[in-house]
Amino acid sequence: MEETIKIKDLCKEFYDPQRGTVKAVDNISFSAYGGEIFGLLGPNGAGKTTTLRMMATLMQPNSGSIEIAGFDTSEKPEDVRRSIGYMSSNTALYPRLSPREIITYFAELNDYSAQDIPIRVEQIIKYFAIEDYADTYTEKLSTGMKQITSIARTIIHDPPVLILDEPSSGLDVIVSQKIHTYIKDLRSQGKTIIFSSHNMGEVEKICDRIGIINNGRLLATGTIQNLRELTGEFYMEDVFIRIVNESEKKTA
Amino acid sequence: MKILVKIYLKDLLRNKMLGLMVLLVPVIFYPLIYWGINQFLMVRAGFAESRTVTVDFYPAAGKYNTVEDSLTALKNIIAIRSLPEQSDNDHIYIKIDELDGLPYYTVRLDSSNSAHMQFYPLIEEKLLEYYGTQKNALISQSGYDPGYFSPFTIEPRNTEGDHEVMTKVLSLLIPLMSVISVIASVAAASVEITSGHSEDKTMETSLTVPAGREKIIIAKFITVVIYGMLSGVLNFIFLISFIITLFKTFLDAVASDIAGFDWAQVINLRIMSISFLALLLTSFFVAVIFVTASGFASKRKEGSIFVSPFSALLTYLPLVLVIPAVEPNIFIAAAPVLNISFTLKLLIENNSDWIFISETVLFSVLWIFFVYRFLFPFLLEEEVLLGYSGTSLIKKIKSKWSDGRNNKN
Repeated sequence: MEETIKIKDLCKEFYDPQRGTVKAVDNISFSAYGGEIFGLLGPNGAGKTTTLRMMATLMQPNSGSIEIAGFDTSEKPEDVRRSIGYMSSNTALYPRLSPREIITYFAELNDYSAQDIPIRVEQIIKYFAIEDYADTYTEKLSTGMKQITSIARTIIHDPPVLILDEPSSGLDVIVSQKIHTYIKDLRSQGKTIIFSSHNMGEVEKICDRIGIINNGRLLATGTIQNLRELTGEFYMEDVFIRIVNESEKKTA
Repeated sequence: MKILVKIYLKDLLRNKMLGLMVLLVPVIFYPLIYWGINQFLMVRAGFAESRTVTVDFYPAAGKYNTVEDSLTALKNIIAIRSLPEQSDNDHIYIKIDELDGLPYYTVRLDSSNSAHMQFYPLIEEKLLEYYGTQKNALISQSGYDPGYFSPFTIEPRNTEGDHEVMTKVLSLLIPLMSVISVIASVAAASVEITSGHSEDKTMETSLTVPAGREKIIIAKFITVVIYGMLSGVLNFIFLISFIITLFKTFLDAVASDIAGFDWAQVINLRIMSISFLALLLTSFFVAVIFVTASGFASKRKEGSIFVSPFSALLTYLPLVLVIPAVEPNIFIAAAPVLNISFTLKLLIENNSDWIFISETVLFSVLWIFFVYRFLFPFLLEEEVLLGYSGTSLIKKIKSKWSDGRNNKN
């Protein structure tokens, strides 16, 4: 498998007036491969979103490096952006545009071949079954519909890497299930998917490998089986708690 | 960038609440403007008791010099005998000819000068009194029948021209209203497109497309300029139609003024081009100020707070200073947006004060340089773009300043 994401010694600090300098991401390193779903699992405020934002070139790391599809995020951010599809934890859709308009515009923005755009848009609309609401303003859509539109927008230019920040957060079981199916299908197309979540069950269900993150530090990475063996626990929740507790003991 | 502008503009134009606000704000401003002008005129001219007015009179017939005594009998009137070419436009001018052995007055005054309007009825009374005295003297000397004389009236000539109301409305009031409409719509659009996008997180979506941050900010800026222009032009058309309809329907005097009005005086290529250019420049300058100001806010509410003082300043300055026709000066030239409104006014009035216009251009360039060099870089920083960690302009400047000092050390 091709190594499409290489992250090395990544650090990011923020200044907070109350707490002073806070290390949001502390020396994180991991890799991800084509045809793989890599899950970043951690509680709220663990540093998942900051890591994903740095991968998507929204933020610059204080130190360390990120290479995506052969491009360094600091040196060639535009090439990186061309190679990724990023979906933030919020649906982040323009409220007064329809899914069809949004998908079309993002295909154009991502330099997708102009003559192929109409075919690609129709293909995506059909694939995600959004024909019924393709021409309705997104402000009138349900959260699930918005989330599916958001995924459609993310993959319209057929990027090799997808960065999805809590894509099923706040959705009902049926829509979540649908989204998981899409994500697994995209994996089978050979895409590298970075998927963040604080939902243990979800990560356990769809991720090939998992990175457990807490207080900005990546505490462990591996397949579910690896992590079970490492901790001697079976359920993902117990695995997570054991790893976090042991890390805190070491720090103390 | 074209696609980004298309997305932003479509989203803005479909925002009904924003559109309503853009239409309503100037409507709310119109009565305030009327009040503002009156207040300013009162302050400028001082209170009635302390006002004086100079009357230039010219006895063209070589007679009736004693009219000076009648005029100076009035409190606060300074009567000066002067030739027509020596008379100042700020003074009321009275020429006294002779017709059928009696004085015949030609009066010129400025209807936009409140002192002229305040004193003229008193002057008119004195002139008619003087005419009456002369008439009685003539009757007693020549034995004419008093019934032979018809009542005498004076028709003053207005220095503002025959179609004063229409000219003023079309050449000054409407462009100024359009400028205010541009300011209001650019302020609202800037908040929506910067802090609104941070709040909705659509900013993140924009930042992950293969375009530099500068391009994204410039695309937002262009969108706001276009939105402001559209609003200004629509308001311009709306105001013209509204005012004409209103006048035609309710004000007979103005209706007759419209009837004989030469539309080519105001609706011509020169004035339309100047107006369009002025609206474009205003939209551009206001967008520079508002996109920068609201860019530092991560929520619409904060963005509105950030732009409010600028909106008030930019709206009220033209309102208070431009309408009552203060003389061009370097302070007006230095004030952004106000200088454009003022230049527009001068150009429309065919007053090519090139010193003032050059100063305006110079200060405008300096303003753009200042914003681009010192404020624009902050807008490109991730904290500001993504709207996190309570970023404020002051905090950013402080941190830049301390970084600079640390690097020197």
